[in-house]
Amino acid sequence: MRIKITSVPVDDQDKALKFYTEVLGFVKKTEVPLGEHKWLTVVSNEERDGVELLLEPMGFPPARTYQKQLFDAGIPWTAFNVDDIDKQCERLKKLGVIFSMEPTQMGPSKIAVFNDTCGNNIQLVQML
Amino acid sequence: MKYYNKRVQQLKKELYEKEYLIRHIIQAKNFADANYADKIDLNKMAREAHLSKFHFMRLFKASYGRTPYQYLVEVRMKKAKELLKKGLPVSAVCVSVGFDSIPSFTRVFKKITGTTPARFQLLAKKATLDKTC
Repeated sequence: MRIKITSVPVDDQDKALKFYTEVLGFVKKTEVPLGEHKWLTVVSNEERDGVELLLEPMGFPPARTYQKQLFDAGIPWTAFNVDDIDKQCERLKKLGVIFSMEPTQMGPSKIAVFNDTCGNNIQLVQML
Repeated sequence: MKYYNKRVQQLKKELYEKEYLIRHIIQAKNFADANYADKIDLNKMAREAHLSKFHFMRLFKASYGRTPYQYLVEVRMKKAKELLKKGLPVSAVCVSVGFDSIPSFTRVFKKITGTTPARFQLLAKKATLDKTC
C-alpha cells in the first residue's frame, strides 16, 4: 500500500488548474474525463514522481459547507513545503496572491497562509 | 483576526517562549545538515546547541518530532538516495554519507526505505529507462 494521492476540493477545476500550475508552479500530471468532472492531478515541478495533488470537484453539497467553515476560520486545507518562505511569498504576492498570514516563525518552522482562489486556505511551511 | 491566526499566536506563546533555545536547536539541526558526511554524533550536536546532551535530545524531539539521531539518519538516507540515483557505486555512497561499513549502511538504508541500496539503484535506473522509452 502506498500514499500516491492527496487532494484539495475546488469549486472550478479549470480555474484551479490555472492557479495551481501558472501561479504556484505545479505541473499537470493526469487528466481523465469523468462525465461532468475529471480526474485532474498536479505534481510539484521539483518532484514529478512524487505525491499527486488531486484537484477534486465539489460535487457533494455538505463538503462545500465544511470547506467554507474552514476557509472563514482561516484554517488551511493542506500545506506545501518550500525552501525559502519569504522569497516564495514575495513571488506569489507579485502574482496577486492574497495572504491571510504573513510568514510567521513557529518554533523550528516558519509558516504563511494564502487564498488559493478555489475556496481553500493553503499553508506554506519552511523547516528552519 | 481569524481563528487560525489567533491559535497560532497562542501556541507560539505557550510553546516557544524561550526563543534562544529554539535558535540553538535550529543551529544544531543545520549543523547536522551541513556535516552529515562526517562522524557526528549526539555529543557533537548537543555541543553545537550549547546544551547538555539530555536537555538537547528532549528539546530536539519536541521541536522536530524525532530524535537527533533519527534526524541525522534521515538526512544521510536522503543524500544516499540522490547519489544512488546518480549511479555512484554503493561503496562510494556509503562513505559519502558518513557510514564506516557497507553492512551497517545497507541495514539502515533498508530499515528506512524498505529496500537495499543496490536494489534501490536498480529500480531507479529501470524507472529512468522506462521514461525514456
